[in-house]
Amino acid sequence: MPRLEQLAELQGHEDRVWCASWHPTKPILATCSGDKTVRIWQATNAQDPTKWQCVNVLEGGHKRTIRSVAWSPDGRQLATGSFDATTGIWERDEDESGDYECVATLEGHENETKSVAWSKSGALLATCSRDKSVWIWEVEQDNDFECLSVLQEHTQDVKMVAWHPNEELLASASYDDTIKIWRDDDDDWYCSDTLQGHESTVWAIDFSPEGNHLVSASADQTLKIWQRFEPGNPLGIVTPRRGEPVWKCVATVTGQHDRCIYSVSWSKTHGFIASAGADNTIRVFEVSSASAEAAGRLAEDQQKALNEPGVLLEAKLVTETKNAHGTSDINSVAWYPNEEHGDWLASGGDDGTIKIWRVVKD
Amino acid sequence: MTTLINQNPIIYEASAGNSTREWREDDDNEDAADPIDAQEVFDLIRSISDPEHPLSLEQLNVTQRDHIQVSDENNTILVEFTPTIPHCSMATLIGLCIRVRLLRCLPSRFKVDISVRKGTHQSENAVNKQLNDKERVAAALENSHLLEVVNQCLATAT
Repeated sequence: MPRLEQLAELQGHEDRVWCASWHPTKPILATCSGDKTVRIWQATNAQDPTKWQCVNVLEGGHKRTIRSVAWSPDGRQLATGSFDATTGIWERDEDESGDYECVATLEGHENETKSVAWSKSGALLATCSRDKSVWIWEVEQDNDFECLSVLQEHTQDVKMVAWHPNEELLASASYDDTIKIWRDDDDDWYCSDTLQGHESTVWAIDFSPEGNHLVSASADQTLKIWQRFEPGNPLGIVTPRRGEPVWKCVATVTGQHDRCIYSVSWSKTHGFIASAGADNTIRVFEVSSASAEAAGRLAEDQQKALNEPGVLLEAKLVTETKNAHGTSDINSVAWYPNEEHGDWLASGGDDGTIKIWRVVKD
Repeated sequence: MTTLINQNPIIYEASAGNSTREWREDDDNEDAADPIDAQEVFDLIRSISDPEHPLSLEQLNVTQRDHIQVSDENNTILVEFTPTIPHCSMATLIGLCIRVRLLRCLPSRFKVDISVRKGTHQSENAVNKQLNDKERVAAALENSHLLEVVNQCLATAT
């Protein structure tokens, strides 16, 4: 069975680590913390993934906790979402100092910004906040960002936003226990679906590599996998809005995590799902089609009657690492985004450390 | 003068001294393992002041030793508290004070759940959800005004 082998432990943050984000193409990691800084980490030489150093500290840009950090798809910029209600945009001065500078500050949210995400093309940025709204920003020339839309359909804090891997489609997860899917119609953004099923706060979401599935992690201690059904789908799932797909839950992982799950990452290279949270454990799952008997799949006539696909997928536990950050909560897990080091996983915890893991197949 | 939410609360007798904990055989042995128990947790929170009255949470019967569960082995603590009245708007603040007190005094290995005792508050689910959302708690503690109020309530905690 595969297992997680710890490659490195990165120390430097002075408070809990909230989020870890891999550079899109290089072995560089950005992490943010309650200490109000972002740290950039790099392997000291490409051949040895066990030695890392902090190469930059981004400070002074935010007055409060930095909750979220995300690289732009071209790797040139970083966006940071902070409890100070702003979003920072950072760029590295390649010519001179090599330091990162805050080149733009996006204001508008009324209180804590909780998550920030770039669309695949880099043309759009999404932010969300305790003020219950999701904002979509257009990235313009000269570090100018124009707010295209303020989406206010969640009834509580919005915890996380995540873009589809190749379409301009956004998902948001909320304290109102739902996930919403947002699409645009000629720059007019609207909620195209609301995914109900979790029994408590949805903390994190991530799309599958091809984008037809979404995994969600919740305070209800479950993970759910949702599938997109296009109009005229073979299962006959009704798509109420003309021409619009619907998302339905096709798997629920229960009985694994026994406290709140804070983070989930769906590998874009090998398809494993990693999750972690307040039970101190990182778990890795492999997704496959559910066998009819194992899953208790609904019969076709039941599917039609309930307009629910039933259990179509199974997420089997591949490996788990208990006390991955000692007795600390784990707030973030992130798979390396491309093939080069696709077996790497980063995690960040309340202990203020970041760990780099590798999936080893024995 | 603003109107108090509960103008005339029932006052209970607080146990004398700083602790009602009984002496144990191992107490003088510094090498003995010293597991945290419900009494110790109770002792940490009983003298927190109520945000409204010049009284302690113990005197108002908001906290009771029997409503605290501790598993030292599993690093878990559950504190249930009882608002003086079911529509108490201070319930979240009281819970936050308890959480901050334990955050500051207990080893970080503990996972602390705080909730309103079942059936004692009309918005019990909302209060519980908020008190156990670490992100909201972290954000609340960066709010200097709120932190000042919490610190006032904790000033009497011994």
